[in-house]
Amino acid sequence: METAEARIARAREALAGVQRRVGTTRDRWEAPTLPLTPLLDQVLPQGLRRGQVIAVAGSTSLMLALAAAASEAGSWTAAVGMPALGAVAAARRGLDLARLALVPHPGAQAAATAGACVDGMDVVLLGPRLALSEADRRRLASRARERGTVIVAEGSWTGAHTTLTAVGSRWHGLGAGDGRLRGRELTVRIEERRGGTARLVTLPIEGAALGGAAPPRRGAPARSASLRALGGAA
Amino acid sequence: MSVVTVVRRAVLWVPDWPVVAAMTEAGLGADVPAAVLHGRGLVAVSAAARAAGVRRGSTRRLAQRACPELAILPHDEGRDSRLFEAVAAAAEQAVSGVEISRPGLMIIPADGAARFHGSEEALAEALVTAVAEHAGIECAVGAADGLLAAVLAARASELVPTGSSREYLAPAPVDSLALAAMERAQRQEAERLASVLTRLGIVTLGDLAALPFADVLARFGPVGVWAHRLASGEDLAPPVLRRTEEDIAVEHVFEDPAERIEQLVHVAKEAAAALDRALLDAGVRCGRVRITARTEKGQDLERVWRTDVGTRAGAFARHMTDRVRWQLEGWLSGTAGGASGDKGPEPSPLVSLGLVAEDVVPLGSEQAYLWGGVSGADSRAHRALERVQGLLGLEGVLAVAEQGGRSPRDRAHLAPWGQEAPPARAIAHPWPGRIPDPPPATVPPVARPALVLDAGGAPVTVSRRLAVSAPPTWVRLEADPADERAQAANRHPSSGHVGRVEGPVWDRARPVESWAGPWPVSERWWSEDASRRAYLQVALRDGEDTVTAVLLAYGGGEWELEAVYD
Repeated sequence: METAEARIARAREALAGVQRRVGTTRDRWEAPTLPLTPLLDQVLPQGLRRGQVIAVAGSTSLMLALAAAASEAGSWTAAVGMPALGAVAAARRGLDLARLALVPHPGAQAAATAGACVDGMDVVLLGPRLALSEADRRRLASRARERGTVIVAEGSWTGAHTTLTAVGSRWHGLGAGDGRLRGRELTVRIEERRGGTARLVTLPIEGAALGGAAPPRRGAPARSASLRALGGAA
Repeated sequence: MSVVTVVRRAVLWVPDWPVVAAMTEAGLGADVPAAVLHGRGLVAVSAAARAAGVRRGSTRRLAQRACPELAILPHDEGRDSRLFEAVAAAAEQAVSGVEISRPGLMIIPADGAARFHGSEEALAEALVTAVAEHAGIECAVGAADGLLAAVLAARASELVPTGSSREYLAPAPVDSLALAAMERAQRQEAERLASVLTRLGIVTLGDLAALPFADVLARFGPVGVWAHRLASGEDLAPPVLRRTEEDIAVEHVFEDPAERIEQLVHVAKEAAAALDRALLDAGVRCGRVRITARTEKGQDLERVWRTDVGTRAGAFARHMTDRVRWQLEGWLSGTAGGASGDKGPEPSPLVSLGLVAEDVVPLGSEQAYLWGGVSGADSRAHRALERVQGLLGLEGVLAVAEQGGRSPRDRAHLAPWGQEAPPARAIAHPWPGRIPDPPPATVPPVARPALVLDAGGAPVTVSRRLAVSAPPTWVRLEADPADERAQAANRHPSSGHVGRVEGPVWDRARPVESWAGPWPVSERWWSEDASRRAYLQVALRDGEDTVTAVLLAYGGGEWELEAVYD
């Protein structure tokens, strides 16, 4: 007696097989994606779609992780209004610093600056205290959709395709006066604009990705992860 | 990166070109004293006239007093550039690819050409011979690294060895900056700058190059930057062997003011097709299209659209037709906001429509891949950043690189985008005492104050022998400036403040979950900016299962927040 999940999985597989044969894997075709680090597979199962807006609250590391694989594969990244962005952390996450431009203080020109960056860059990180009105944000989002740019905004963004909120964070390695920070587990709440219930995913955001001693990763085994990364970079 | 590398170049210079060109056209022999007059003064003087005592800049009457048989010829910039084409063609007998920077001066990238001829001496000889034979004009050739050194070398017919341009330039007077100016406006600015510098006691290019770059930028602005780079023997831009393209514009004037979209659809299509044709005729394509319209009330509307569609197979025309139609619809209905985010213009009939192609580049320099995506993504990104720099100033956009250092802040190296950065500290050095990985994702540009308290609420200190006075139990960081509650709490008399808050506004105290340290870092003890600090990694409990890790530094009796691992 097979369970309902197994039956659904079998049906999906059959459907995917037909789609492959006929050549109509629809969502792949219609929504080109940027490479995404395997770490975030569970967060964005559909991949980093071009033209979408992702709002991230509470974790700069998560923003960097979102941009990392794309930058490594040759995309351009701009960080607008983030004067405190840690460059070394960005480099360790995999961002190519030669293709990262910082606009730390756009001031009153925030809308024009962000617009120019959306026009020219592939991934635009927006800081929390930008002088952007709701109308500016809508205009930026539609420009990003047209240009195929991914906007990763810190803080809330009305109408964002995906909202990621860091709700829990746990560090390993510190003691009472000894040790050092080693690993970190970040719990992220994922809300999609399309509706559905919010999901909670726990990621080993520090440690595993940086090659240090870390608890074993959930999800995809390491081997397939490295294959994924190669496929994304090609 | 758009950092300009210094290019070795040869410069071919024809002395007194305006007068040589005028004499050639007037059919005068080289031994006739002649001068070219423009406005009230002479702009160029032939060698024979100079020997007779005629000077550049003097008036006609003074010149005629010094040399009564002087032939005075009219000034004509068109003639200068027209005749110089012959010289350029002659030079191209010896080298391929020359850049005419102004009539009378030609730049040749020296490396390849010198290799072809065997040596730079042979290249210079070949150039002089070719110009003398084919154009019948005497010229001088020099070579050096960097633009100004090469121009000066040409005037002296010298070959400056590689890497010694700076020394070569050092004794030259600041007036010689004007020689590297290629347009009249630029030349006037350079002359004005030189006169100010001379009055300030900066007489030679060596003096100018010795000034700190940032101070020159602050005092003199872009022209100062230009002069400083030239005086340091650097380049402003690599030699460009093609002409820059003009913007291409198409305009359509409506016979009757158009107020309904049906009238406009056809016009939009025609205008887009006309622009497409104009671009194809010129063999170029564009990165942006500016759509402008004038309403019946005399209001000018404009909006820029970015386009990456190639001009192949009418795709551009279709693409632009849609854009133009959308834009016109928006303007007509009054729903489209202005570019600056203000309220849209009042709906009003349109009387004219214009399309201007901007960011024009030759066709083929940006080819699209077969499946979407544009190979010109890099140049597109550079253009976007240049536009942001235009909005915010040169320092508004920063390039970041990793460098060696101990604290997270020291390990990032920032420089204005596109500018040559001073050498960073080597990463490969050991840097003992470096804060261990993982690196923090948030590093405030300046350290923020913090309070570290023990269980009794007394400040924790670290002694010279690295003994912590008590285990840290509470940490107070600066509150978010938007947090009204924290502001109010700090104003409360119980927090020790009465009236206005002086100093930092403290957030609530957060319990320490675990901590590590202190790690001592004593840097540059021999110099003025010596620092002796102890670092502490602290995990702060924020809520049920939220832990924030921060890096704190203790120095001089104060705690500072160095970085947040968020």
